[in-house]
Amino acid sequence: MVTTEEQAQNKHPGREPAVLSCTSAVTGLPQKRYYRQRAHSNPIADHSFDYPARPQDVDWHAMYPNIQEGQQVSFADIGCGYGGFLVTLGEMFPEKLSIGMEIRVKVSDYVVDRIKALRHKSGEAGGAYQNIACIRTNAMKYLPNYFAKGQLEKMFFLYPDPHFKRAKHKWRIINQALLSEYAYVLKKGGLVYTMTDVEDLHKWIVSHMEQHPLYQRLDEQAANADPITPKLYQSSEEGAKVVRNKGDHFLAIFQRL
Amino acid sequence: MATIFFAEPELVVGHGRRVLFVNPDDLQIFKEIELPPDLATCGLKVPEPGSCPATGPGPGQEQQPAAAGGAAKQREATASGSGSAAEVAVQNVSYSPDGQLLAVTTSGAQKALLLYRARPEHARLLSARPLARAASALRFCSDSSSVLVTDKTGDCYQYDCVEVEAAPRLLLGHLSVVYDILWSEDQQHIITCDRDDKIRVTNYPATFDIHSYCLGHREFVSGLALLTDRHIASASGDKTLRIWNFIEGKELLVHELPAPAMRMQVRELETDKVFQAAMLLYDYEDALALFHLERSGRESWAINLTQLVRADAGAWNICNFTLTANRIYVTGAVNERLELRVYDSATGIPSKGVPEGWLKMVLEGLHALPDADGNCVNFQPEDLSVWFKKRFDNVSDYLERKKRRIEEQQQQKSN
Repeated sequence: MVTTEEQAQNKHPGREPAVLSCTSAVTGLPQKRYYRQRAHSNPIADHSFDYPARPQDVDWHAMYPNIQEGQQVSFADIGCGYGGFLVTLGEMFPEKLSIGMEIRVKVSDYVVDRIKALRHKSGEAGGAYQNIACIRTNAMKYLPNYFAKGQLEKMFFLYPDPHFKRAKHKWRIINQALLSEYAYVLKKGGLVYTMTDVEDLHKWIVSHMEQHPLYQRLDEQAANADPITPKLYQSSEEGAKVVRNKGDHFLAIFQRL
Repeated sequence: MATIFFAEPELVVGHGRRVLFVNPDDLQIFKEIELPPDLATCGLKVPEPGSCPATGPGPGQEQQPAAAGGAAKQREATASGSGSAAEVAVQNVSYSPDGQLLAVTTSGAQKALLLYRARPEHARLLSARPLARAASALRFCSDSSSVLVTDKTGDCYQYDCVEVEAAPRLLLGHLSVVYDILWSEDQQHIITCDRDDKIRVTNYPATFDIHSYCLGHREFVSGLALLTDRHIASASGDKTLRIWNFIEGKELLVHELPAPAMRMQVRELETDKVFQAAMLLYDYEDALALFHLERSGRESWAINLTQLVRADAGAWNICNFTLTANRIYVTGAVNERLELRVYDSATGIPSKGVPEGWLKMVLEGLHALPDADGNCVNFQPEDLSVWFKKRFDNVSDYLERKKRRIEEQQQQKSN
């Protein structure tokens, strides 16, 4: 039987959309075991990405069916993994559009299917989760292709790949050259949230961010007062794993000056 | 790359370890530079492993491994006696805008930036500073006080030309090779273009602050040219020539080209208003295309094709060119030897105005012609095909497998 997904749906109108059928029978959500992929990806190499030449070329409506005229993405979860935190963001900020960006094929596809399933469960167009979406892209290369100068209010770098080897430090998502790109897409006063369970990486992030003239770290009190902070410890799958392992978390929040 | 450019009244050609400054209309060699086989003899200090050529305010940190690795490699290559591939060779040559300084970058075993005093007569070496990697582009700022060098990893370093021994500063970084670099006339902006289709406008001296992007190209951006205090032209592998207001990051005009553009040269004919632009085209029957660029209003421009130059495309491996008022000088390789040909800009046919014996004089001066023992400096032009992005598909397979899995599950359900 060779049919497109649409045909399959039409033939079996009473059934779940075909795209959801690697989902759990219990939760109705996609099962991660079908989307496993190794944790590392070379962000410098060529990949087959279909990326927009300019932000105005992006078809946001395809990702956010309810997007209003003039509305734009405000939050970006860079390297969103399986999308746990992205979903939380969507729930916490129903009025804001959040985007997850993930380079790994299967992982980003999982998030896309997960959002589809969540929307389906909550009653499609009128329901929840219309404000989150995920794209597979290389955020190290293509952020300015998606976002205009000063567009983003918040950026999240949660449990980024530590790239332990020195020779691969250029692959780290936080490095001096890239911080200027993030500053470009961030609004003045916008926030960058970073979280890792690798202390060395945390030190690296803090030292690079503090050296960059366009960022200032929030003090502990301000960081703890942010309503997002407790969620950062809870809601990413990677985070949940660390909690079970009783590892240490290292949070740092920076303001774009 | 066999560098070639015209700086009135000199035609400058670099090849192997030599740079020749010649009069295009006369059998006259103004001056020449010959690099020693080992640049250590002219003062190049090989960086110690772990010491980094970039000691800017912070950003240098992640550059260390590469620079140290490069140094180790350089040392090895020098110690083991240089193979032909590793020989020091001139990569880029550039005059400072005031005509007083000359910058030369080298590739091969010793990658360096050599700074010369160009006047009064023969070039006098001022300093030899190590490069972390071979340079991809080289550009002086308008007041000649510093020079920028970019490389294949996208890093852009500033070398001071007043403190000629000063260590370079890492100013900005792209994620892919930077093919060209410009300074705005007022030195408020640095404009860079890369293999990822981007033109980036960075504030100066606050280079941590990106002013704008000029986005729209769909392949590598190979060349940039400053037209006015706010307009630039860009040439790309996407077969377009575009004009931008770089202050606003706004595209003003797109002009289709017959083939991908690999290099661009622009000559100003009338200040801020009329320009001649020439492109080297990729794998096309006419190797070069000449255009007339004219500003027709405050923010409007017109582009017209004026001449196609066949330049025996396909019969030899063309790699570079330059324009004078009435001629096009084209460099390339025939049987791995440097070849120089001259065409008339107005007609596109081989120029008749080149003095008798001039070509032979230049090629001999560059050691590009075999001597009595049949020895000469070989020339292997860069493979330009690698500039195009490789599209390897890592998605279709996965999607196909997923579809099959879904179908199997559906069949199981309906059974």
